Amino acid sequence: MSKDSQMRAAINQKLIEMGERDRLKELLRAKLVECGWKDQLKAHCKDVIREKGLEHITVEDLVAEITPKGRALVPDSVKKELLQRIKTFLAQHSTL
Amino acid sequence: MKMEDMSLSGLDNTKLEALAQDIYSDLVEDACLGLCFEVHRAVKQGYFFLDDTDQESMKDFEIVDQPGVDIFGQVYNQWKNKECVCPNCNRSIAASRFAPHLEKCLGMGRNSSRIANRRIASSNNMNNKSESDQEDNDDVNDNDWSYGSEKKAKKRKSDKNPNSPRRSKSVKHKNALLGSKPCCRSGSSMHAVER
Repeated sequence: MSKDSQMRAAINQKLIEMGERDRLKELLRAKLVECGWKDQLKAHCKDVIREKGLEHITVEDLVAEITPKGRALVPDSVKKELLQRIKTFLAQHSTL
Repeated sequence: MKMEDMSLSGLDNTKLEALAQDIYSDLVEDACLGLCFEVHRAVKQGYFFLDDTDQESMKDFEIVDQPGVDIFGQVYNQWKNKECVCPNCNRSIAASRFAPHLEKCLGMGRNSSRIANRRIASSNNMNNKSESDQEDNDDVNDNDWSYGSEKKAKKRKSDKNPNSPRRSKSVKHKNALLGSKPCCRSGSSMHAVER
C-alpha cells in the first residue's frame, strides 16, 4: 500500500471514529431535504417506476437511474459547505 | 495504531482537495443509496404511490382564504348564538351554557351532587333545632365536606364556595372528609391527598 493510500485509510478511519462522518452524513441529508433535492429525485423515481412497472422494479434499477442524477442535482451551495467542513476536519487533524 | 508518523501537511493542496472530493463523493453516494432503498421498500410494501391524489380531489380540499371562515370553509363561531332546548326541563339554553346546565339539571356531574347536598343540609338546618345531628353525620360522611365545617365555613370571610374541594385543607380519610378543622389552610396537604 502506498503511503498515500495508507494515509487516506487512516484519515477515513479517524473520520469514522470521531463520529464526524456520521455528522457529515446527517448534515448532508438534512440539507438535501431542505433544498428539495429529495423531492426532485423522488419524482424522478416515480417516472422510472411507472416506466419499468411497479412489480418488476429492483434496487439495481433504481440505483442505476438515481445515482448519477442525484449526484448532478446536488446544489452548489450544499456541495461547497460540505467540502468546507471536510477540509476543516482534515486541517484540524492533519497529524495522525 | 502503529504507523510511521504521517502528516497531511506533507500533502500538497491538490491531493488534499482530491481527498476531500472523494470523501464528499462517498457521502453523496450514501445519500443516494439511502433514497433508493427507501423508495424500493416503499414500492415493495405498497405505499409509494399512496400520497398521489388526482387533481379533482385536490381542488375539493384546497385551503380556503376568506374572511369570517376558517381554512376548511366552516364558519367557526356558528354555534355561539344558537340555543338548545333542554330535554329535561324544556328550557331554551344558550349553546355554551348547555353542558353545565345539563350537568345540574340531570343531577349528574360533580358539582350538582354538592349543591344538592348543600340544599338538603341547609333545609335540615332550618328544620332541626339541634346543632349537629349525630345521625346525619353518617350520611354526610360520604360526601366531600362535612356538615359541621359548613357552618364554620360560612362564617369565614375568606371562603367563597363552601363546597369546592379547595375550601378546607384538613386531613382527609380515603374518600370522606370527617370533622375538619377550620384553620388548616395548608394547600399542599390537600392537594397531595386529592391526587
